[in-house]
Amino acid sequence: MQFLNIALSKGRLAEQAIELIEASGYNCQVVRDPSRKLILEDHEAGLRFIMAKPADIPTYVDYGAADIGIVGKDTLLEEKRLLYEVLNLGFGYCRLCVCGPESLAGKLDQIPNKRVATKYPRVAREYFESKKQQSVEIIRLNGSVELAPLVGLAEVIVDIVESGRTLRENGLVVLETIADVSARMVVNRVSMKMKAERIQPFIEAVGRQLEARKDQASE
Amino acid sequence: MTQWQFHTPDGVSDLLPEECAEKRRIEQTIRSVFEKRGYFEIETPGLEFFDVYAVGSGAVPQEALFKCIDHQGRILCLRYDGTVPTARVAATLFRDAALPQRFYYVGNMYRYNEFGGGRQRSFSQAGVELIGSSSPEADAEVIATAITTARKTGIEDLQVSIGQVAFFKGILSEWGISGEAARQLPHLIDSKQMVAIEEMADRLQLPKAARAVILKLASSQGSDDDLDTFEQLVRSPVAQQAITNLREVLMILEDYDCRRYVTVDLGMLQSLNYYTGVIFKGFTYNLGFPLFSGGRYDQLLQSFGRDLPATGFSMGISLAMTALQRQGIRSKPQAVPCWICYEKPERSAALKLAEQMREAGSNVICNGLTGDIHSFLARRPDAKVILMQPGGTWQWLQGGDPACNS
Repeated sequence: MQFLNIALSKGRLAEQAIELIEASGYNCQVVRDPSRKLILEDHEAGLRFIMAKPADIPTYVDYGAADIGIVGKDTLLEEKRLLYEVLNLGFGYCRLCVCGPESLAGKLDQIPNKRVATKYPRVAREYFESKKQQSVEIIRLNGSVELAPLVGLAEVIVDIVESGRTLRENGLVVLETIADVSARMVVNRVSMKMKAERIQPFIEAVGRQLEARKDQASE
Repeated sequence: MTQWQFHTPDGVSDLLPEECAEKRRIEQTIRSVFEKRGYFEIETPGLEFFDVYAVGSGAVPQEALFKCIDHQGRILCLRYDGTVPTARVAATLFRDAALPQRFYYVGNMYRYNEFGGGRQRSFSQAGVELIGSSSPEADAEVIATAITTARKTGIEDLQVSIGQVAFFKGILSEWGISGEAARQLPHLIDSKQMVAIEEMADRLQLPKAARAVILKLASSQGSDDDLDTFEQLVRSPVAQQAITNLREVLMILEDYDCRRYVTVDLGMLQSLNYYTGVIFKGFTYNLGFPLFSGGRYDQLLQSFGRDLPATGFSMGISLAMTALQRQGIRSKPQAVPCWICYEKPERSAALKLAEQMREAGSNVICNGLTGDIHSFLARRPDAKVILMQPGGTWQWLQGGDPACNS
């Protein structure tokens, strides 16, 4: 049997994903291995888990190194790879937003040549350049993006907002929402055709589990 | 400062003997398949005017082109694909030729990928263009040629998805979807984003049948029954005609004995500005990208002054090499040459012998000895070595057949 290669990232998103896959009837015991192995295989179930950085998961799936990936929509928007995005997994909800000091509320469009600090340079550029037809200077940062407006590095930031607590504690507010984000299941385009007999039942099983949860929640 | 003379630029690489031999073998196989079907090879220049790639349905985003400027200040770019230059040639230099025309190319393409991530910026492609015929026979011929090409290079595990973009264009106008929605919807369907598709269907307040069609387009796993279902669900004559056309192409592929490789996927909706009819992509194991892709592009030649229908495909040669390697299919490497070693007085005889052996089909290197023959043998213990002897006789020292000594 050919392995079904699934790319996951360590962390909360992966835990929820594993729990979901397990509930869908696939044994994921191997992933609970506390070791630092990056490839975990379950020969019986025919599953191979590839532990990758979240931002790299679309790349692994695009190249076919993984057949399936579990990844946030924010990463998908930033990487813009040609993948099948088959399921919204319904967890990891947050928003991609333009944030800045409250004084800018409603005045964002009046600042010419804004400096935008972000971990999502492509998302930020597309939002301002394509959607709003505004020129911006993108400043790429790797974390603690909220610092940028506070120290005068940028006027605004583009980042994911979950509860908004970090923003509030740093005196920032959401100015505009770019997109709603949640965890997605993505599939390599070739695998979808060449491994259909394995991937299709997998997607369907997880899809059924998601439906069941939705029904439970609405009861 | 980095010393760049030791490096190759991002996205390009050297092909060393083993790979190079494999590549030549594949190219040779491909040429033979194409020529046996009556396609003529053309070689367009590696440099084109930017305008060639900036107009009409073949327009390429400018950031994807490698550009430079000539002495008159005109923008030039490296060849981005094989189809557009071939269309230029067919529409201009062959404008009075009898139709249809059949051309093929094998060559390097150059694409500047912003999000490189290991993707090659220079890669070799081979492809055919069948220009001047809008018949389903032409579509089927090109698809069958693509399948045969892949199989002849050694790739047997092949799946081809076939679609028809006119179907989607027809239903868009039937349901009056235009503007931003018409731009987004094909992308959502093509990447199977079911949730987003449903949201958009709600927003557009699509009728029930329309909803069913777009959801089925995105979710379908490619079965022939799809065509019947779609036929019943849509009214647009353009869409109906697209299905009839696709059925015909499938029927002809049956006669080509290629039908078993092909599955229908009307949800393939890329490059809608470029393609106008039947499109297809070929997949194989252990390769993350389609091995070949192609389709009908009836609007491209207008940009070059002739309104001609056309169809074609291109196949990535390095993709084929990767697939073959990963599937464990190896070709014979280039034959190891044999050495003829000689001392100065025997040079003339050695060079003559070398020519004779080359005529007979061997690869031969002549080596005037500067030191001891034994130290030469020690340096190349695996080489096939002949030593030329005084009086025109010679002797296998290593790796040859001693019985052949003269």
